[in-house]
Order: sequence, then C-alpha cells, then structure tokens
Amino acid sequence: MLKREFKVNLKSFVIWLSILIVMFLFVYLIYPYIITDETMKSMDELMKVFPEEVLKAFNMDMTSIETAYGWFKTEGFMFILLIIGFYSSILGGNILLKEENDKTIEYLGSLPIKRSKIITNKILVSIVYILSMVLILGIFNYIGLSLSGSFDHKQFILLSITPIFIGLPLFAINLFISTFLHKTKGIVGISLGMVFIFYLFSVLSELSSNVEFIKYFSIYTLADTRNVISNISINSINIIISLLITIVFIISTYIRYNKKELI
Amino acid sequence: MSIIELKHLKKYYGNNRGVEDVSLKLNKGDIYGFIGPNGAGKSTTIRTIMGLINKTSGNIYFNGEELDYNDENTKKKIGYLPSEINLYGDMTVKELFDYHESFYNEDFDKRKKELVKLLKIDINKKIEDLSLGNLKKVGIVLALMHEPQVLILDEPTSGLDPIMQNIFHELLLKEKEKGTTILYSSHVLSEVSNICDRVGFIKDGKIIKEDSIENIRKENYTYLKIISKDINKIKKDLKLKIYKESNNEIVFINNMDFNTLINKLSKYNIEHLLIEEIPLEDLFMNYYK
Repeated sequence: MLKREFKVNLKSFVIWLSILIVMFLFVYLIYPYIITDETMKSMDELMKVFPEEVLKAFNMDMTSIETAYGWFKTEGFMFILLIIGFYSSILGGNILLKEENDKTIEYLGSLPIKRSKIITNKILVSIVYILSMVLILGIFNYIGLSLSGSFDHKQFILLSITPIFIGLPLFAINLFISTFLHKTKGIVGISLGMVFIFYLFSVLSELSSNVEFIKYFSIYTLADTRNVISNISINSINIIISLLITIVFIISTYIRYNKKELI
Repeated sequence: MSIIELKHLKKYYGNNRGVEDVSLKLNKGDIYGFIGPNGAGKSTTIRTIMGLINKTSGNIYFNGEELDYNDENTKKKIGYLPSEINLYGDMTVKELFDYHESFYNEDFDKRKKELVKLLKIDINKKIEDLSLGNLKKVGIVLALMHEPQVLILDEPTSGLDPIMQNIFHELLLKEKEKGTTILYSSHVLSEVSNICDRVGFIKDGKIIKEDSIENIRKENYTYLKIISKDINKIKKDLKLKIYKESNNEIVFINNMDFNTLINKLSKYNIEHLLIEEIPLEDLFMNYYK
C-alpha cells in the first residue's frame, strides 16, 4: 500500500515543488540584471512610501533586497511558506478523504488491513513528501544562492527548515477536518482558506501592537522567521508547539476515523 | 455452528431507517438468497457486516464469535463483491490483482489465472477503460481470488450478460461444493432460485419471510382465473386476495386446498375456470404488496 500511496501522490508533489523551483530559478537568473544601482535607488524611494509596520510584515525592515539572498529572506520566503502551507493543507485534506470521494473505500475497507494501518501509511507518505519538499527546495536554493553571491549559511539552513513547523500542523489539522466529511468538494476551499487566514493573521499581527495578540491564532507564528533572521536561532518553544499540534490532531484523526461511517 | 449469524441487526442513519431488524443464520456451504426490492436494506445489512458502516444495535457473529471488522485474519476469510464497484482507475487489471495480493502476503497465482481464464478478462486493460460488465468480472476475481470461507455478494450479476451469469452461477456452485458459505443479495428471486438453498425476503428493513426454495415451491400457491356473472358475490363470500380483475373476470391467489375451493365455488355459476402455478417472481411480488 505504501508504494502505491507514494506513486499516486507523486504528481501533486512534483507540481507544487515545480511552482517554487521555477519561480526561484527565474529570480536567480534575472536578479543580477534587475538589481542595478539605478533600480535600487528607485526601489529605496518606493520603500520610503511604506510605513515601517508594513515593511515589518514582510521582514523588509531587517534586510535589503539588493541581493538575491535579501530577496529570498523577504518576499521569496513568503512564497515558500505559503506554497508549502497550501501543499500540506491540501494533502492533509485529501489523502484519506479521496478514497471516500472516489468510493474506492468500499474496496479498500474490505481488504485485510486495519483502519489505523491505512491512516499510518497515508500519514507516513505525507510526512515524507512534506519533508522532501523542504529538503529539495533547501538544496536548490542553497545552490542558487551560492551562485548568486555570498550569504549566511547557518541563517539560511535554519530559515529553510522553518516551513516544517507550519507544514506539519496544517497537514494534521486538515487531515482531522477531513474525517468529518465524505466528499472532497468542500475540503480544498477549507484548506486554502485556512492558509490564507493564518497567513493574514500573522501579517496583521506585525502591523500594530494593538493587534499583536492575533498571532496566537496563526500557525504561521510558529515559523517565526523574524527571530530566525535576527537571532540566527530557532525558538524551541515553536518546535514543541508545532509538534504538539501535529500529534494532537493526528491522534484525534485515528480516534475519529476508526469510528467513521465510510460510506 | 453457523458461519455467519446476524441477531436483531438494526441500523439507523439519524432518524432514517437503514435496517430495522434482521436476523439470519448461514451454515457451512449454504447459499443464502437475500431478496428484496431497492431500498429494503440489503446493502445496508451487507455494509454493516463488512464494517463499512456502524450498526446501531444487534450482533454479528462470525464462526461463533462477535465479528471484529478490524481483525485482519477474519477479513482474510471473507470475499466481498459490492453492488457498485469502484476501483483505482489508474491501474491496469494486472496491477490491481497484484496490489490485492499484497494485502494477503500470499501467492494466489493459480486461482487468479483460473478465474481470469474462466471469466475472459483482459488483464492488460486499465480499470478506467472497463465496461460495467468487465468491471464486475474483475470484482468477482477480487472476491474469489483468496479462496475465502465466506462470500458476500451484493447484486453480483448486474451488468453481466446471461452467458456470463451462468458461468458465474456454476462457479458459485463449485464454491459451495468446497464448503464456501455464500450470502447472495438480489432483487430478482428467479435469479437465485436455481442456486440458493434458502431465501430470506427483506422488506422495510425487516426479514418478512425465510424459507428453503423447496418449501416455497411446495406451498403450491396457484393463480385462479374465474369468469362468472356472480363474480361480485364470489369476491364477497370467499374473501379473496385479488390479483387482477375486470368486468366478470378475476384472477386471485389461492391458498385454500382444492376440495374446499371446489366446494365453495360449486354454489356459483362459473363460466370459465383456469388454475395455474404462480411463477416465483409473482410470488415474490406478492410478499411486497
């Protein structure tokens, strides 16, 4: 079953990974040409227009986009966090539910395999794919940035692994939600919407100290890229919370799915 | 000891009835016809046995023990053919058979080849390209490949042509000889009457009659057609179960013995009398009126 799960989920993995690879490849190829002294000057002018809070929301107050790495830490990384968030959410929402949606669950459910084992196999495949996406992307960006100039290697490595802390909980939450549904029709909207809302919360929380509290309602707070960029370290509390959320929702999925009416 | 036994099985979806009260017993080598119209609760009963849906109350026993659908060894002993087959469209038939085998950790090559040959299946075709009938044939191989102790078949012949239906029925009779216990659900009585030992009729979620095919035939229900000017009187006096009627003519289902019937009818002026055996199909319809 594992082999088949890897095979059927490979296509979406390749598509989502390709989106990021193509985007970053494009940036690495054209960046040296667009970042000239003149464009930098006009960019600086443009940046002055934005209030500090807005720049903060995109980490632009801490770094400059005059190098490819500068861009990577700000806008570039925002894309990585969003795309890996989308991928993990959609994977979580679909991987179990697809069997019911396609009605293949009637066949799978008649086979000599425990429901828990079905879940375990699907979770295993998903985690491997989420981690592979982070790893492959990290290697690709490492090569791309190495060719584009110098950069802080430790900072880069720590930054590159932060998507894991949002990817795994998003996967687990969506997996759990899917145990309440029978069709995949609504789940994509839920998965995408959840990523947007969490991301919006984390951006908004940077804008004003009055609304800073909403960061506690966002999974994206766990990536905590500002801390990684400025202190070159990952807060272990974030790792623990991220793993805790993942584990709680995965356990809840086992409990729900074992009692679920599959047809 | 019975192989499969259901005791007062009940299944409700919220306030909606799936199955009200189903009790049945299948012994080794039995072929049990589970007969009922659409929506009577056949598939719900079967899906509850398979653990795909949760029962509301009642018991399901397998080899004398409460059936645990999460027990892999128990499931290895069951072969299941659902009424609507949905398989992985991206696989070829051969890939699906190999995938199926991988769950059993056993090699069913010999049996698989026999079945593929008998049912004339092209194993190189993709599942998504198969017609309904061919998909059903693939489903039959999947249900039988691991030589299960029990076969649960939900409307197994829908989509099969008459020749293939015969081949399938012969296959089931051979399974019976080997001691396989078979639960065969259908909405057509005549389809199962030649191969089943016993039949249970399910209506509105309840078993309303259960008997051997032999006894059902022996009940000797007959149709009586009478043409008479006294037809209204006859109807009133004899309290008949009318099947069809027009002007001076009635067709009714007779369950009186013939001496009583002739005695009663002798009082009237009968123009025409025809007695014929009720076909099983009409008998079946009679249960559902």
